[in-house]
Amino acid sequence: MELNINGKIHTVDVEEGMPLLWVLRDELNMTGTKYGCGVASCGSCTVMLDGIATRTCTLPASVAEGKAITTIEGVSPDGELSDVQLAWIEHQVPQCGYCQSGMIVAAEALLNEIPNPTDEDINQRITNICRCGTYNRIRAAIHTAAKRRGDKTNLAD
Amino acid sequence: MADSNKKKRGKWTRRAFIGVGALAGVGLVVGVGGNIFLTRNARKYSGKGFGEGDSINAWVHISPDNLISLAMPRAEMGQGVSTSLPMLIAEELEVPMSNIRLVTPQPEPAYANTFLLTQEPRNIYSSLSFMEKIAHFLPLVATGGSTSIPDAYDLLRSMGASAREMLIRAAAAKWGVSAGDCYAENAQVINKKSGEKVNYGAIANEAAQIKLDELPALKSKKDWKLLGKPIQRLDIPEKIDGSAEFGLDVRLDGMLYGAMRHATYHDGAITAIPNQAEIEARQGVKKVVMLPDGRGAVVVADNTWRAKNAALALKLEETGNNTLSSEELDAQAEDVIANKIIAAPKDEGNATKVLDESEGILEVTYDVPYLAHACMEPINCTVLVKGDKAEIWAGHQGSSLMADGVVAVTGLDYENVTVHEKYLGGGFGRRAEIDMILNAAHVAKEMEGTPIQLVYTREEDIRHEMYRPAVKSKFRAKLNNGGIEAWEHKVALQSVGFSSINRIKPQFAEPPEKDLSTPEGAAELPYRMENMKFALGQIEAPIQVGNWRSVGSSQNGFFTESFIDECAHASNMDPYEFRRNLIDDPRFKNVLDKVAEISNWKQNPGENRFRGIALCKSFGSIVGQVAELTRISEKEFSIDKYYCVIDCGRVVNPDTVEAQMQSGIIFGLSAALYGEITFKDGEVEQYNFPQYEMVRMNVAPTVVVHIMDVDEYPGGVGEPATPPAAPALTNAIFAATGDRVRSLPLKNHGYTFV
Ligand code: FES
Ligand code: FES
Repeated sequence: MELNINGKIHTVDVEEGMPLLWVLRDELNMTGTKYGCGVASCGSCTVMLDGIATRTCTLPASVAEGKAITTIEGVSPDGELSDVQLAWIEHQVPQCGYCQSGMIVAAEALLNEIPNPTDEDINQRITNICRCGTYNRIRAAIHTAAKRRGDKTNLAD
Repeated sequence: MADSNKKKRGKWTRRAFIGVGALAGVGLVVGVGGNIFLTRNARKYSGKGFGEGDSINAWVHISPDNLISLAMPRAEMGQGVSTSLPMLIAEELEVPMSNIRLVTPQPEPAYANTFLLTQEPRNIYSSLSFMEKIAHFLPLVATGGSTSIPDAYDLLRSMGASAREMLIRAAAAKWGVSAGDCYAENAQVINKKSGEKVNYGAIANEAAQIKLDELPALKSKKDWKLLGKPIQRLDIPEKIDGSAEFGLDVRLDGMLYGAMRHATYHDGAITAIPNQAEIEARQGVKKVVMLPDGRGAVVVADNTWRAKNAALALKLEETGNNTLSSEELDAQAEDVIANKIIAAPKDEGNATKVLDESEGILEVTYDVPYLAHACMEPINCTVLVKGDKAEIWAGHQGSSLMADGVVAVTGLDYENVTVHEKYLGGGFGRRAEIDMILNAAHVAKEMEGTPIQLVYTREEDIRHEMYRPAVKSKFRAKLNNGGIEAWEHKVALQSVGFSSINRIKPQFAEPPEKDLSTPEGAAELPYRMENMKFALGQIEAPIQVGNWRSVGSSQNGFFTESFIDECAHASNMDPYEFRRNLIDDPRFKNVLDKVAEISNWKQNPGENRFRGIALCKSFGSIVGQVAELTRISEKEFSIDKYYCVIDCGRVVNPDTVEAQMQSGIIFGLSAALYGEITFKDGEVEQYNFPQYEMVRMNVAPTVVVHIMDVDEYPGGVGEPATPPAAPALTNAIFAATGDRVRSLPLKNHGYTFV
């Protein structure tokens, strides 16, 4: 099957049912997307499918065919950090860091849809687990990233 | 394969050297030998990992092209140690954090964590104590018990200081001036008189020849440029773009993936796999490897998904206790407390007698369940065995334990095992265990020449763990006029120390009554009591128990800070005032006062809002917390805020301290709200996050942190925020409802949180 990952086409030969997570990690060695639970509960494996945050550990890779897949490696494709990533540095969010790929991708998707999320929006949409408990800083960083993005848009207007 | 009877240690002679010096043609080398407090045996390191040749030493290496490399032998599991340890060296070495490169050395004696064994700071001006020598001899290169800063605090500053002093002397000699006419700043030595400057790299070779007779004085606190300041973490850039490599991200040529299937029963064994041939014929599956004693089986395949599906499909014939249940364990705990107390680590005055002879005493029972660590990164380990050498890759709390484990399985020499310490996707004590190492090494030995990445699925991880033990706790107390005349506390549990040390370093195992973790947070309390007793008994169960973030204090904090709250209410006193009246130690009192102040304890919190307070000391640090809740309906609450005050003595990186307070509270709350591992028919009933739930964004409170300014030797910060989290919450629930919650988790009492 052919997968469009971060703007590049990858051809893989795997069983129909193999989840996208394992195609990314073990077939393509793109290890930024993490395995945490395998049952769509923790969000470690989140990527964007056509811009929508999607858990890949239960999603057959074949379902992602024909869609634009954005993984953590594709969040800053030209090496320039995204507003979300910059906010993550500013707020010193990660601890162990294992959940952070999924968190950052989920935050990017949230801001694409809701440019100025409320705390309640964040509660509803960021449902990933962080075992290190970085939630306070994630929340603050999302607000900062929203502001950065907003400032840019205003400049462009 | 090497002969397993061969001597395993003591082969650093070629590379080990004494004192300060450089090998030919290379840069400045500051070994631990620069300091007079280490014995010859303790100075050993190979320099592997720093780069080319033999040029490297224990902690600081400066190459002629001015590359400044610092050793970072501790495990980065989120606690920020890979920033705070280099800060200690960089402060004295006078180098900016942006200039340094971190190197993970091999687990050699120079990097031993002595504090882990002694619970005492090293005296850098005297020789090693007996136990410190043992820590070096083993060597014990490990991270845990919130010890990294207490262990490194003086040692690493002196490493940086002696390097700086040698560089200054080398520059002074070059300019023909006295060392007093020069100073170091920004990785340069500067001549005060002429204003000339020289880069460290340019004088590194000369500096390395200089012998120091004594340790240079350490900088005084007022001159610090880095310590005590919020320094950005060095590991964060890698952790925001997916490039940080965790153990599970290791990818090697020809590597295969192994999925673990544990024997179902915790004392059981797999005796046969009837469908092995069928499984081995599956797409991508290479082999099914039975582990020693039938403790498990590993399916090796060319992809994790294929391996884990195949492992799940294994049909097993097994032995083991298939009747074990939580009810049975609970009944046993009752009996142990009533009839089988084996030791009283604390017995001051005559608590039992006073209570036996008194009327109207308080008498209550508390319970907490077994808990899984549930590190975000599932347990894994990668090993390659090839001829008389092996390599191991994992995020693990003990790099020396990684090598020890491979040695134990393969019989290879310790020096022939190369350790690759990766980032840990959480540790919390689980990654101080060695099961994953032994299991991966066994498969790698069976499949020599092929790197094997062993993974436990989340289900295997949660169901086959070294759990925080379930603990039953009985209190009796006699109160008088706002005071405590007698306090008796008995617990029944499985000893963590006995269970875990027997697995990891059996030569150090002590009987359960001597386990120092059991009385943590229960035997020494800040409150004045006329008669005080803490006693314990042991539960016998075929369950492995282990160190779980904050260990004994994880349960004792809940028990003692809930019961002291009960004593306050029974005395008709405000819980803060009651505690305060019983505290003599000013450090405790200051923390308690501060948390009351920042939480506006004395003001009414407003309609439907309630507060609870708790105060615990663990790992050398005192933490006070106030939880603030809004009651939404009868048993539905929102946990709005935690106010958290810590006295951890001198602070290295305040930003990290704040992060660890937030982290420790969330960890404690996940356990308080949802956490329990229960047994039925010999099996763990929880499989994955849906049954072993975690606090998520919508439930997480805002945590407000205040760090006390206290000029004392530093304590730990990775664990101390966890113990007060649960009692602060349940004390607030009592304030709201009058319902005293005496067993966790809260979900079993019908409470929900949004
Ligand atoms: S690994 Fe996919 S949601 Fe947890
Ligand atoms: S940073 Fe460790 S799990 Fe989120």
